[in-house]
Amino acid sequence: MSAPTDISDFSIGKPVRRSEDAALIQGRGRYSDDIAVDGQAFGAVVRSRYAHGRLRSVNIEAAKGMPGVLAIYTAADLAAYVAPRSPFALKSIDGSPMLGATTATFAKDKVRFVGDPIALVVAESEILAREAAEAVEANIEPLPAVTDARAAAAPGAPQIYDDIPGNLPLHTHFGDIDKVTDAFSRAAHVARLRLVSNRVVVAAMEPRAALFEYDPASERFTAHIQSQGVFGMRNNLAAAMGVPPEKMRVLTGQVGGSFGMKGVVFPEYMALLHAARDLKRPVKWSEQRTESFVSDHQGRDHDIDAELALAADGTFLALRMSGYGNIGAYVTPFGAMIAALNIHRNAQSVYRTPLIEMHMRCMLTNTPPIGAYRGAGRPEGNYIMERMVEEAARISGIDPIDLRRRNHIRPEQIPFATGIGTIYDSGDFTGLLDEAIEAADWNGYAQRKAESVARGKLRGRGIGQYLEITAPPTNELGKIDFDEDGGVTITTGTLDFGQGHATTFAQVLVDKLGIPFDRIRVVQGDSDRVTIGGGTGGSKSIMASGAAIVEAGDKVIEAGKLAASHLLEAAVSDIVFSRGVFSVAGTDRQIGVLELARRLRVATGLPTDCPVTLNAVHVHKASPSAYPNGCHIAEVEVDPDTGTVAVVRYTMTNDFGTVVNPMIVAGQAHGGVMQGVGQALMERVVFDRDGQILTGSFTDYALPRASEAPPFVIRNRPTIATTNPLGAKGCGEAGCAGALPAVMNALVDALKPCGVTHVNMPATPEVVWRLANGKQARAMD
Amino acid sequence: MAKVSMTVNGKVVTADVDPRTLLVQFIRENLHLTGTHVGCDTSQCGACTVHVDGVAVKSCTTLAVTVDGANVTTIEGLAHGDHLHPMQEAFRENHGLQCGFCTPGMIMSAVDIVNRKGSNLDEATIRAELEGNICRCTGYHNIVKAIGDGAKAMAGHAQAAE
Repeated sequence: MSAPTDISDFSIGKPVRRSEDAALIQGRGRYSDDIAVDGQAFGAVVRSRYAHGRLRSVNIEAAKGMPGVLAIYTAADLAAYVAPRSPFALKSIDGSPMLGATTATFAKDKVRFVGDPIALVVAESEILAREAAEAVEANIEPLPAVTDARAAAAPGAPQIYDDIPGNLPLHTHFGDIDKVTDAFSRAAHVARLRLVSNRVVVAAMEPRAALFEYDPASERFTAHIQSQGVFGMRNNLAAAMGVPPEKMRVLTGQVGGSFGMKGVVFPEYMALLHAARDLKRPVKWSEQRTESFVSDHQGRDHDIDAELALAADGTFLALRMSGYGNIGAYVTPFGAMIAALNIHRNAQSVYRTPLIEMHMRCMLTNTPPIGAYRGAGRPEGNYIMERMVEEAARISGIDPIDLRRRNHIRPEQIPFATGIGTIYDSGDFTGLLDEAIEAADWNGYAQRKAESVARGKLRGRGIGQYLEITAPPTNELGKIDFDEDGGVTITTGTLDFGQGHATTFAQVLVDKLGIPFDRIRVVQGDSDRVTIGGGTGGSKSIMASGAAIVEAGDKVIEAGKLAASHLLEAAVSDIVFSRGVFSVAGTDRQIGVLELARRLRVATGLPTDCPVTLNAVHVHKASPSAYPNGCHIAEVEVDPDTGTVAVVRYTMTNDFGTVVNPMIVAGQAHGGVMQGVGQALMERVVFDRDGQILTGSFTDYALPRASEAPPFVIRNRPTIATTNPLGAKGCGEAGCAGALPAVMNALVDALKPCGVTHVNMPATPEVVWRLANGKQARAMD
Repeated sequence: MAKVSMTVNGKVVTADVDPRTLLVQFIRENLHLTGTHVGCDTSQCGACTVHVDGVAVKSCTTLAVTVDGANVTTIEGLAHGDHLHPMQEAFRENHGLQCGFCTPGMIMSAVDIVNRKGSNLDEATIRAELEGNICRCTGYHNIVKAIGDGAKAMAGHAQAAE
C-alpha cells in the first residue's frame, strides 16, 4: 500500500478502488471449480435428449461396469429428496394454490425438457464420469412437445403433467375489472401493443460447479457451492435433504456472476449430496457450457397484450394487461412469481396511472425452467409501460416527453400511494427526465440524425424512464468484530457475485466508525458464521447489509462510549464520538476506537458495567422496498442494407438515493444496460418444433461482445430514500429496466420512415432488415 | 499416456498425461494454477486465454501435447513479484472487472492486443479486437478504458526499461 491516506478518501460517496481486485487480477480468486480436496470423485449428469417423453427405463448396467465408475443414481435412489417450494404463496383466481408443487429431483416417469436430469454417474475422474454417462441408456418414448406459452394454452396442446390440466398451474388476476372497464369506456385514446419479452439464457461467465463433502462421524454435509447467500442456501439444501440446518454447512467463495440464477437449489445438488453421503467421498461436479444452456434456469419469456387508456388531455386512466408467462417445465422458486406479481407492480413506474389490471396465465412448457434473471419482472414491467407511453403519444399526437410530464407523480405528491399498493417515499421524476434530456444533448439530435442520413443510415432516439420496486424486506445480519490482529471483520448475509460488497460495506463502516479502510474485512460466504441473512437479490444488498452495518455501528458507539467513560474517567454523557475517536467533551482526553477495542481485550479489573468488548451483533429488521429510478436515452443507427442496429449513444441519469461508491454503481448500471441491449437486439433462446434447443452454445446464441456495446454517459441525480438508514435505493437491476424501453423506443423511432410502429424483441438484423425494406416478417416459430 | 514438457511461468514442468488432456486442464489440474478459467468449451468466451510463446491462445481448445516444448504464461505469471503488470493495474484502476471470472482471459488478451497493435489503441480497435472475449457483468465500458490505459502504461514501462 502507498502512504497512509485520509480516512475520508474511503468514506461514503468516494470511488474507492475495490479491495476484491488484487486477487482477481492475479488469478487468485477461489471460484467453485477451483476447489479440490483429497479423495474427491466426480459427477456427470445424464440428461434427456427429448423435450417430452415417457421414461420407460434407465439401463445403467453397461455404464456401471466401466472403468472408474463408483456409483450411478437415478430417480429411484433420490425419491426422499424434495426441491424447495416457492416462498411465495401464489393463488389462482379461484383461490386454489399454485399447482406443480411436486418437482421431481430427477425425472422418474417422464422427461419434460431437453436437459431434464435422469441419472448421476460418479467416477474416479471427470473424464471417466462423462464417458460412463454416455453409456447410460435412457429408454424414452417421445411425445409431442410444446415450447411456446400461447401454444401450450391452446386446446389439444400436449399435456405435460397428468395432474395439471391445460398446462396451467397458476392463473392470476390483479385489479378491479369494473373500474378498469369503466376507465376504458371513458377513454379518448387507447394504445394497444402485444409485447414479447424474449427468453434469454443467464450466461453467468462461470458455469455452475460444486463440491460436496459428508462427514459420517458428525453426519454433517459441507457444500462448497455458488449461492446468493449462504444462510438461505444452507436452509434450502438442508430442507431438500431432510436434515436439520445445523447438519449442512455452505461455503461460497468467489461467484462468477449469477444474476439471480445461482441462488436456488437445483436437482443436481440433491443427487450430488446423496452421492457424497452414500459413497463417503467428496463429490465434485462442474457443468460444461453446453450443459448450462439446458440445465440452468433461463430468464424472461412473457407474451403480453397491453392497453393504455388515456383521457383527451393525455392523462393515463388505466393500464390493462393480459398475457402468458412461460415458466418452463418445472415450477421454480421464482419462475411464476415474476410473471404473476412483479411485472404489473413495476409497470406502475413513475406515473400516477390510478388503475392497473393484470391477467396472467403461467404456462408449463417443454423448456428449461424459468428463474430469476436480472430484474425478474422489473425490466419487463417498465418495458411494457414505456412502450405504451410512446405508442400512446403516437396515436394521441401528444409529444412523448410532454405526455410523460403530464402523468408523472410530482415531488409534492410524495409520499405517493400507488394503486398497486406501494408507497413511493422519494423521487423527482420530472426533474430527472429533464436532466436526462439535457445530458443526452437532446437538442443536438437533429444534426446527428442528418449526419446519419447522409451516410445512408436511419437514426432514432428513445427514452426509457423507469422505476423499480426492490426486493421485499428480509432480516439481515450486521456483525462487527474487532480482531486480535487489529483488523475489523464485518459479517453479513448478502453475498457478492461481482458487486463489490467488500469494498462498499467497508466504506459504510469507514463512514460510521472511522476505521481505516484497509483494516476492514468482509465475511459473507460461510454459513457457520452468517447466522441469519436474506442474501442478495432484488437489488437489496445495500439497503439490507448497509443498514445492518450502520445499526451495528451504533451499538459499537454506544458500548464504546461507556467503555471510554471508564478508561478516560469521565461521565458517559460527556463522551463524544467523531471520526473514529472517543473523547471527553471540552478536553484533549481521547481514545481511538481500535485502541479502545484493544484495551478492552487485554484489560483486567474493569468495573462490572464496563463492556468487555466492542464487538456487536445486530439483526437489521427489514428495510422496506426502495424505488430506484432513472431515465435512459438511447440513440441507434440502423443500416437498412444489413438490418444491423448500432447503439451509438447511451445516456443515463439515475436516482439511486445515497451512492456509497459511484464507480461501482456506474459499473452495475453499465452491465445492466448491456444485458438489456442484448435482450433487445440480439439474444433469444430458440427451440425447434420438437423442443430441441437451437441456440445451445455461444457460437449460436448471440451474447453481446465489446463491439456491440456503446460507451456510456452516466449521471447521478439522487433523492434520498427515507426508509433505510443510508438513504440508498439499490442499483443492481436498474440498467436492464431502462435499457429495454430506451433501445426499443429508439429503434421504432428510427424505423418510423418505413411505416413501422412497433418491433418485438429481439430486433435481430433479419427482423430489422425486413422492416426497413418493407418485407413481411418471417414466422419465427 | 503421453509425455509433455513445457515452461509455465518460467518453470519447466514435465508430466505424463492422457493425450486428450487440454492445455487448460493441464494448467488447472496438474499445475493447480486455477486463475485460467473455463467459461464455454467452444473458444468463444476467452476466459481460458493464456500466452503460448508470447501469443494469446485459448487453452480450452488446445491439447497440452501440441504445445510440448513451448513457453506458456498464465495470469499468475504476469506480475513481477509484487509489481503488477501495467495491464492488471489498469483493470483495477478503471474498475474493469466485477465478478472477475472473465478477467484473467481479458487481461491476457489485452496484453496480446498491445503486442500486436501497439500501445496507441483507439476505442474502435479495442472493441473489435476483444471479439474473442465475453464479459457478462461490465457492459465492456470500463474494460475498454482499462485496455486503453493499460496499453499506454505498457509503453511507459517499456520506455523506462530502455
